[in-house]
Amino acid sequence: MADDYALQLEGVTKRYGDYVAVNALSFAIPRGVIYGCLGPNGAGKTTTLRMINDIMVPDKGSITILDGMAPGREAARRIGYLPEERGMYPKMRVADVLAFFAELRGVPGREAKTRARRWLDRLQIGDWKTNKVQDLSKGMQQKVQFAAALIHEPEILILDEPWSGLDPINADVLKEIVLEQKAAGRTILFSTHLMEQAEQICDSVCIIARGKRVVEGPLDQVRKAASTDRLVALDFVTEGDTARARDSVLADLVSKVTDKRDGLEVELRVGVEPGELLAALMTAELGVRKFEIVAPTLHQIFVDKVGAEAQPLKEVQRG
Amino acid sequence: MADRALPEWLVVARREFLERVRTVWFVVVTVLGPVGMAAMIVVPAWLAHESAEQRVRIDVVDRSVDAAGKPTGLGDAFIDFANKLGLNFDTNIVPADTTVADLLTKLRKEKIDGFLEIPKDGLTGGTVIYRGANATNFKVTASIHQVISFAVRSKADHVEPAKLLALVRPVPFKARHTTGEKGGSSGQAKFIVGYAVMFILYMSIILYAANVLRSVVMEKTSRVIEIMVSSVKPRSLMLGKILGVGSVGLFQLSIWAAMGFLLLTYRTQLLGMFGVSGGHFSVPGLDIGTLVIVLSYFFVGYFFYSSLYAAVGAMVNSEQEAQQAQTPIVLLLIIPVLCVSLIANDPRSSAAAVLTLIPFSSPVLMPMRYLLGGASITDVAVSMGLLLFATAAVVWLAARIYRVGILMYGKRPSLRELGRWIRYSE
Repeated sequence: MADDYALQLEGVTKRYGDYVAVNALSFAIPRGVIYGCLGPNGAGKTTTLRMINDIMVPDKGSITILDGMAPGREAARRIGYLPEERGMYPKMRVADVLAFFAELRGVPGREAKTRARRWLDRLQIGDWKTNKVQDLSKGMQQKVQFAAALIHEPEILILDEPWSGLDPINADVLKEIVLEQKAAGRTILFSTHLMEQAEQICDSVCIIARGKRVVEGPLDQVRKAASTDRLVALDFVTEGDTARARDSVLADLVSKVTDKRDGLEVELRVGVEPGELLAALMTAELGVRKFEIVAPTLHQIFVDKVGAEAQPLKEVQRG
Repeated sequence: MADRALPEWLVVARREFLERVRTVWFVVVTVLGPVGMAAMIVVPAWLAHESAEQRVRIDVVDRSVDAAGKPTGLGDAFIDFANKLGLNFDTNIVPADTTVADLLTKLRKEKIDGFLEIPKDGLTGGTVIYRGANATNFKVTASIHQVISFAVRSKADHVEPAKLLALVRPVPFKARHTTGEKGGSSGQAKFIVGYAVMFILYMSIILYAANVLRSVVMEKTSRVIEIMVSSVKPRSLMLGKILGVGSVGLFQLSIWAAMGFLLLTYRTQLLGMFGVSGGHFSVPGLDIGTLVIVLSYFFVGYFFYSSLYAAVGAMVNSEQEAQQAQTPIVLLLIIPVLCVSLIANDPRSSAAAVLTLIPFSSPVLMPMRYLLGGASITDVAVSMGLLLFATAAVVWLAARIYRVGILMYGKRPSLRELGRWIRYSE
């Protein structure tokens, strides 16, 4: 059973004085998936990732990594970690710094050097390997940081807010790396408050707020469960059809109409089924081009579940 | 050799070592250190040599008269004795009514280096005054004092100058330092070596231990610390850091010791190149036993202080804050240096015994006290035992503070918070 999971958290709790940062959090990540840990700032994401990486110790609960390992030195050698606060030794040479991180996580010296060179070439900064880290541009430093997290070929990759501060080009580089790691059978756990990014690549998600789990599971299931069949996306053949629909059918069956770029989004009145709306539109002989029951976006689920109080925090970057 | 993974503390230590040794700064300091040491040998000898060559221009105002009111000729006697003793004085008698103001003007214009004023009662106990820019030069004033004393004694007691000089001819005399062993070397030389060892220990402990502080703060400010602690136990990280920086210190000290040894061995030739005759003292031998003691105190003392520094580094957020926060530690190190004369003057005193037992002063002072013969091997063993014990305690405490502190940003902890950090469970 344990073999099916790359990572399992069981009732994990962490307090700072009176403040409960993580509250009885449980989730299990199957092997080979991309798992998003989502939540507003201050939800306890970073604390959770730090506990998995043995930087902090949970007050309660258990963390199981791969085949029954607890967080620690042995586990660290099979985990690649990109912290939110990404730093490098500014005065070290680029190739040396990569080899150093590889050796720290158990890669023998000569092999570490070979891998460092390979990664730098792959990330197209091979010409810079004898330069000091501080001579690199920020984008290049970010590439070095990804490489440092991956150089010991970990089975689990843990990325804390990986997209924060990345330019679009490096964001794509990172996404490519993440997908490639998944294809190689590795498990990726990342935290983010950017729902759009999560929606694009996650297989499963766990939304946490104020240290507690709110929703967890495979992304399609989460979305299906959150879907109430109350929202329908509509588009008509002509402008005239749209106007007529607004005056007749929609006025009767729909409680709210929102204009979208590609048509309308309507919310059904209580007691009205989507099928009734479609039948009514057909009966009225309106030229319907699109009729689609809308599954909520991760963003909507997040806002619904986490609640309005998370909103003001959302855009605030943590210092 | 098989390609094997190293223990992580060793990976950390190697990084600290290589990153420091590879810098231009290290090479410069390592090379310039001995140049400085050479300068310390050559420059004083050269300066002494130069100033010995230079003649001191002295005006003599002789206002002294005898009971009959006639000039006593003390001034002439002064010049006579100065010449007989072969002193480098350019003496010149000026009229007895020359005012001090006139002479001061002359002095200001640098026509003379100083002037000697013999009062009316010079022959019967009046105070003779010398004024001059070189009045702080101990050698010059001591010579003048001696010459004028000879002049007064010879005139007052009617002794022929030649007879007087024959009477005060010095007996050959030497001071040898020993505390019971045979032989014994020159006291002065022993003191210089003891002092040098003390100073080098103080400098290297403070330099390298402070390096540990800087390294800890750098990992915090560059935020690399989070990756580090996810891979390495904080204790291994601290240990690796202290060992890595410490081996840079040992490496540099060894280079300096080798170069210093060569310099001392070939100092006669070296001084010869600058046209100066060689140093007169014989260098007391630093035997292997002593060397082991000096290096052990360096290493343990360095461990003691660098763990304190590591803990301080973990408490602060920036280099500037670190400067302030390290003051108590610097004081701990400076106090022993201020007490150095207590040991030098009497290495067997109880003050010396106490200072070399206390762990924060023993690393700097014990090797010196041992060199000066104030401490037996048993004393050294007891002091080292105490130091080892204290170091173990400090390392333990520092590791606990370090573990919590490295991930804390923001306000510096109060003493109460520090206590809580120490009590946090593993």
